[in-house]
Amino acid sequence: MARLLDIGLDRIRNLIMDMANLARESVNAALESYEKGTMLRSQIFEYSEKLRVLQIEVADFATELIARYQPVARDLRFIQSCMDIAYGFSRFGRYAYDIADVLETIGPIPDCEKSSVIEMAKTVKDMITLSVESLKKLDKDTSQKLYMMDDSVDALYRKYLRLILTPSKTNYSYSEVRCFISALLILRYLERISDHACYISDCVHYIVTADSSPRR
Amino acid sequence: MEELVREQEHEIGRPVEAIENYKVVIRNINGWFGTKQALKNINLNIKEKTVAAFIGPSGCGKTTLIRCLNRMHEMTPGARIEGQVLVDGEDIYDKSIDPVVVKRRVGMVFQKPNPFPTMSIFDNVAAGLKLNGIKDKKLIAEVVEEGLKGAALWDEVKNELDKPGMSLSGGQQQRLCIARALAMQPEVLLMDEPTSALDPIASSKIEELVRSLKEHVTIIIVTHNMQQAARISDSTAFMYLGEMIEYGPTNQIFKSPNKELTERYISGIFG
Repeated sequence: MARLLDIGLDRIRNLIMDMANLARESVNAALESYEKGTMLRSQIFEYSEKLRVLQIEVADFATELIARYQPVARDLRFIQSCMDIAYGFSRFGRYAYDIADVLETIGPIPDCEKSSVIEMAKTVKDMITLSVESLKKLDKDTSQKLYMMDDSVDALYRKYLRLILTPSKTNYSYSEVRCFISALLILRYLERISDHACYISDCVHYIVTADSSPRR
Repeated sequence: MEELVREQEHEIGRPVEAIENYKVVIRNINGWFGTKQALKNINLNIKEKTVAAFIGPSGCGKTTLIRCLNRMHEMTPGARIEGQVLVDGEDIYDKSIDPVVVKRRVGMVFQKPNPFPTMSIFDNVAAGLKLNGIKDKKLIAEVVEEGLKGAALWDEVKNELDKPGMSLSGGQQQRLCIARALAMQPEVLLMDEPTSALDPIASSKIEELVRSLKEHVTIIIVTHNMQQAARISDSTAFMYLGEMIEYGPTNQIFKSPNKELTERYISGIFG
């Protein structure tokens, strides 16, 4: 016979997976916006708002589950982690919106060299997929792989920062400056998304093992 | 505290060396009712002035185990026990030990409040003293007051000490029984599901009382209410089918038990 708590756990799991899908969609839309020059700020803002509302719903529901059923052990760790994971996904939405906002503020940048952002975007999208998969399968071992990917994201960000801090000429054009600013800001947001992907897999590790991730 | 129970965990299942570190040491306890074995090789160490909770499904042996800790088990016809229970390093089953003295050192509170029905509140608390031959009225009055204060009942009954114990509410009756036990100044207090017959407010008072009593007494409580064990105990033992499955710090048992069986029980998957 299923426990009453199981019904609640299923519901919170579904909420989290809805957030995962929406978060992934938000980040993909923002990056597509950068690559193709499409302006999607209002749409991504809606995604971000939905994620924010869902995060509150998860926190409220998690609190209700704790109050009603007083879960322990793995159930408790799962519910506790759902709150952290929901926050992580809501940050994905917020950073996606920040990327869209930068693009809208700076305006069209069709001639910018975009390879650094595209390279990091690919890694970060893979990281989001991996973190969501680790959550679906409750795979505690994904975190190590994500840490390595996160290191490469950090390295790419620092590399780009060094690049623009060591100018190859004295006078940059206005459009070149716009390229640098947009790329640097987007790289920064991607770097933060990468961190949150790691935090999500840390939560999975905690749910399964009851130990904090070794990197923490 | 965590360090203390890590030590305890480490020592489960093998002979205890540093027994002076523990108030109660249970060594290789096996218990029977006739031919039916109810306890199977239990080993457990409990530090002084802590609260230890025994949890487990009905019939797992937790009540039998605490009844072994003050020699009540042997009072059941056909019941017997093997092994040792040390209190302050002294084996309470040693032939030289008087069981009456054991019961004075290790008090007990039962599931249902059981004040002596014909006695007043005062006499209920004083009963143990009088049975032990104490006649000094001033001393008895002092001990009764101390016991009632210790059980957080004094303020509610100080003006009606001559009323029958049975006139009190269920929660008050249970605290009266705790006062009666405290009057004997026990070193260890055993509590067998002390709140199972009480409403939430009365239960909450008993829980608060347990937390404050542990400053003076080592408490061992049997409870079916896992949230109660989580709230009031420092260490928790999970028993199943007469065996001690897992014993550890309460926060560890309820957040990340080591044994799958413990996890399944505390999560309500069985039991």
